[in-house]
Amino acid sequence: MASLGSALLLATFVVCSYAAVASVAGARRRSRRLIESGIGAFYLIAALMAAGTAVMINAFLTNDYSIKYVAHYSDSVQPLFYKITSYWGGLDGSIMFWVFLLSIFGSIAVYVNRERHRELIPYVIATISVVQMFFLYLMIVHRNPFTTYLRAAPAEGEGLNPLLQNVYMAIHPPSLYTGFVGMTIPFAFGIAALITGHLDDSWLRAVRRWTMFSWLFLSFGLTLGMIWAYEELGWGGYWAWDPVENAGLLPWFTATAFLHSVMVQERRSMLRVWNVTLVIVTFFLTIFGTFMTRSGVVQSVHAFGDDPILAKLFTGFMVVILVFSFSLVIWRLPLLKARNELDSWLSREAAFMVNNWILLFAALFVLFGTMFPTLSEAVTGERLTVAGAFFNKWMAPVGLVLLLLTGIGPLLAWRQSSVRNLVDSFLWPIAAGVAAGAASLAFRIPIWPAGLCFALCGFVVGTVTQEFWRGARVRRKNTGTDLLTALVGLVGRNKRRYGGYIVHVGIVLIFFGFAGNAKKLDEQVLLHVGQEAKIGRYTIRNNGIKVSDDGQKQMTTAYLSVFADGKEIDGLYPARWAYRRHEQEPTTEVAIRRTPAEDLYAVLGGFDLADQSATLQLVVNPLVNWIWVGFGVMAIGTGIALLPERSFAFALAKMPAEAVTTTVAMLLLLLVAGARPASAQQGMGGSEDTRSSYYARTPFEKQMQHEIVCTCGACGHQTLAECRKDNCGTSHQMRGELAAMIDQGKNHDEVIQAFLAKYGSEEMLGAPVDKGFNRMAWLFPYLIGATSAVAVAFVAVKWTRKSDPGAAPEAPLDQATDERIDDELRDLD
Amino acid sequence: MSSAISTDKGQVKGDAAVRGGLEPWQFFLLAALGCATAVTFMARGQGPTAIILLSVLMGAAALVGYAALRAVRPLVSPEDDRTVMVGQRTRAALEGEKLLALRSIKELEFDRAMGRLSEDDFREMSGRLRARAARLIKDLDAGAGYRDRIEKDLEQRMGERAAEKNAAARRCAACNTSNDHDAKFCKSCGQPLGR
Repeated sequence: MASLGSALLLATFVVCSYAAVASVAGARRRSRRLIESGIGAFYLIAALMAAGTAVMINAFLTNDYSIKYVAHYSDSVQPLFYKITSYWGGLDGSIMFWVFLLSIFGSIAVYVNRERHRELIPYVIATISVVQMFFLYLMIVHRNPFTTYLRAAPAEGEGLNPLLQNVYMAIHPPSLYTGFVGMTIPFAFGIAALITGHLDDSWLRAVRRWTMFSWLFLSFGLTLGMIWAYEELGWGGYWAWDPVENAGLLPWFTATAFLHSVMVQERRSMLRVWNVTLVIVTFFLTIFGTFMTRSGVVQSVHAFGDDPILAKLFTGFMVVILVFSFSLVIWRLPLLKARNELDSWLSREAAFMVNNWILLFAALFVLFGTMFPTLSEAVTGERLTVAGAFFNKWMAPVGLVLLLLTGIGPLLAWRQSSVRNLVDSFLWPIAAGVAAGAASLAFRIPIWPAGLCFALCGFVVGTVTQEFWRGARVRRKNTGTDLLTALVGLVGRNKRRYGGYIVHVGIVLIFFGFAGNAKKLDEQVLLHVGQEAKIGRYTIRNNGIKVSDDGQKQMTTAYLSVFADGKEIDGLYPARWAYRRHEQEPTTEVAIRRTPAEDLYAVLGGFDLADQSATLQLVVNPLVNWIWVGFGVMAIGTGIALLPERSFAFALAKMPAEAVTTTVAMLLLLLVAGARPASAQQGMGGSEDTRSSYYARTPFEKQMQHEIVCTCGACGHQTLAECRKDNCGTSHQMRGELAAMIDQGKNHDEVIQAFLAKYGSEEMLGAPVDKGFNRMAWLFPYLIGATSAVAVAFVAVKWTRKSDPGAAPEAPLDQATDERIDDELRDLD
Repeated sequence: MSSAISTDKGQVKGDAAVRGGLEPWQFFLLAALGCATAVTFMARGQGPTAIILLSVLMGAAALVGYAALRAVRPLVSPEDDRTVMVGQRTRAALEGEKLLALRSIKELEFDRAMGRLSEDDFREMSGRLRARAARLIKDLDAGAGYRDRIEKDLEQRMGERAAEKNAAARRCAACNTSNDHDAKFCKSCGQPLGR
């Protein structure tokens, strides 16, 4: 079986090179035969990869431990489902899975577009084939998943990492890969358009859907990752700016920028160079993200580990991508010139440009923050840490500006907005925003950033509602139906626009959930049997600890009762599972009590079976569930935008009642949700004696625990306050030192100095100290922000000056053609 | 699997050419049935997982064979391009572009109704789009596909013949309504039409 697999990989490599050569040769010599043969070979790649995948899954299911990869990531007691998902559980398999997905997507894209974009297809095939060849080369020379043991095979496999044995984790990587891989298709079409010179808007049409599709899966993958981190890692939060998370976020930013700037090109024939660049950069970032997670360049909880050869190969490939694609762009610059100019800053084009600028800034900033530890190690020889707080500080305003633009953009007119027009469209959304802001003030939510976030949420919801309302009224007037039918017709007729608005609502919900973080409560307690602890409005009682075993793992569960207002409302059962052969790394099974308003979240940090005591991390996360709901709304919106042109056609004349009520109900739900108060919570409870000595006793100690990062290297740079779940000796010791220093009466700077002296590096600081090379970390964001702002302004000014009245007006159409166009327009409705 | 294909392929193609009935996919269907039989024999007494796995493997192998055939066939068969071209581009591409232009006009009209576009801007932008749509329509009409051309040829020939026969008989003498060339009475006033 293993040799069959290797042979298949080799064959795929050969076929890839044939497909690339045949299709390019066919295109240059104008030979249909060669091109057709190239297309066939391209389908053959997909078939070969499908066969290879079948062989691999077969090996997993039949427990063929002679293959190293199988022995490494699977064992016989694993459930069937996880045996299959082990396919992408490791580095080698994930690369193979990548090629498999790419071959499938490529085949679909080529099949769908082979007639409509015939001139591009040969180069699309060549580009995708070359990308596949790179990954196949990686597998063949360096990381062959079908490598076998030279000597006797082990009798039993090592099993998949227990952390990955979780439903979310099983679908999270394929979903992210789908997003990553899907971005190759727009890139291939962009390159093909550049090579052939067919740089009108038609290639954009071919890739719009692919970009949306990939974007959806990227978002889905990111959300799943968040849910996984929330439920399985026991961080208490969902996003920690871990390098691997950031790797997925980077292309998400640029893809979002692309989806928006495409509209400017379609409508106004501007930003052509920019769109090509965005496609290239997005693709580059997907490769870069893969590189970061797989080469050991950055340290992360879930990177695959050190691999210098892989790092070199990837670096070479990335350089080739950048040089090749940007040379093409420069070569084609004359063809890419904008046909229109920017007329006013108060126009939708301008809003889109600012939106792109912010998104790019976000991408650059995250990229910089992620790479900073590596950079500083290269320059100063000292590996620094850029922890979550640093990102949060910067990304909060960026996110809020984006949210603001989400509300403003749809209200502006193309080309130029008049004052009357502005007043007319901004009145209600601003009123909604002010109302939401006032409501959040009334609930004593701090203005920055949560209160502002709530106000902006209200503003955006106001905008979207107004768009739907006015659109429906216009349509009702045009078609003469009732309002609800008009609403459905509206969405059906302008799927992309209204799908996009629904996505905006999803974004609002996600921000709504983020803002809940402002009222997050986090507490660590040590509870003996029968003891109680208070957090927010809840009281938690420890009823004891039990141990059980199901053959695959040993489960230690704490039995907790939850009381609110004196009544027992629920039980929570946080646990730790120790898998066979992975006893040193027990998984935390979080217990969560979910409500729309807040989650009560309990992690079993440590336990003592002798006296049945449990160390618990208790967290109250307000509004967190709205993030997941928001993603659902986003998926629905993207789904609507992705529907084929003709779907809904049957429903346009008549009223599908359910569809309408669902939409309306959803909007109502959102409004209600927007007005829902974050339950006011009082401060921390818990009497002094239930805490172990190293839990923060004073606000100052708590602040310090949040400022200093654990250096154990296994927790992904969590702060001292957070790194408790694995009974981490390092963080325990560091907390002890901190407590001792505070007892000595040292102040903030003295403590930092003492830690610096003791550990000899700044690794344990959450953010770099502001001096020397490290000042870069603080300076750089300002720098890119300012430079890019100047660049945007420069381009805009250049465009405004270039107003060229000499453009000849189109010759008036003759009567017959005019009428025919009118007829066809009527038919379209 | 794939060796079987490469030997049989010539024959299959020949058959298809001679009888006009047998297509390659039929061969693959037979091969797949054969594989299914093989699978049932091989997987006897091994449980459903083994059967499914083997079937998937066989299916993948069949796919590989078919795709290989698809890759090799264009090289050996005479060039047979049935795609309708208009100028340098395919008809599908032009039609897609026309639809895009029309949709954009629709969207512009909607934007104007929503107050997102001033009257002047609308006129300018939609004028440009209409001109583009008109150009595309003209291109499509001029270089219409061969089917359209056949139909037009046919129409023309029929028309010529009819014109020879009934050139005079088409118009009603009483009310000047034009009638079908084989009509005996006027469809408007009922007067008999002259021969």
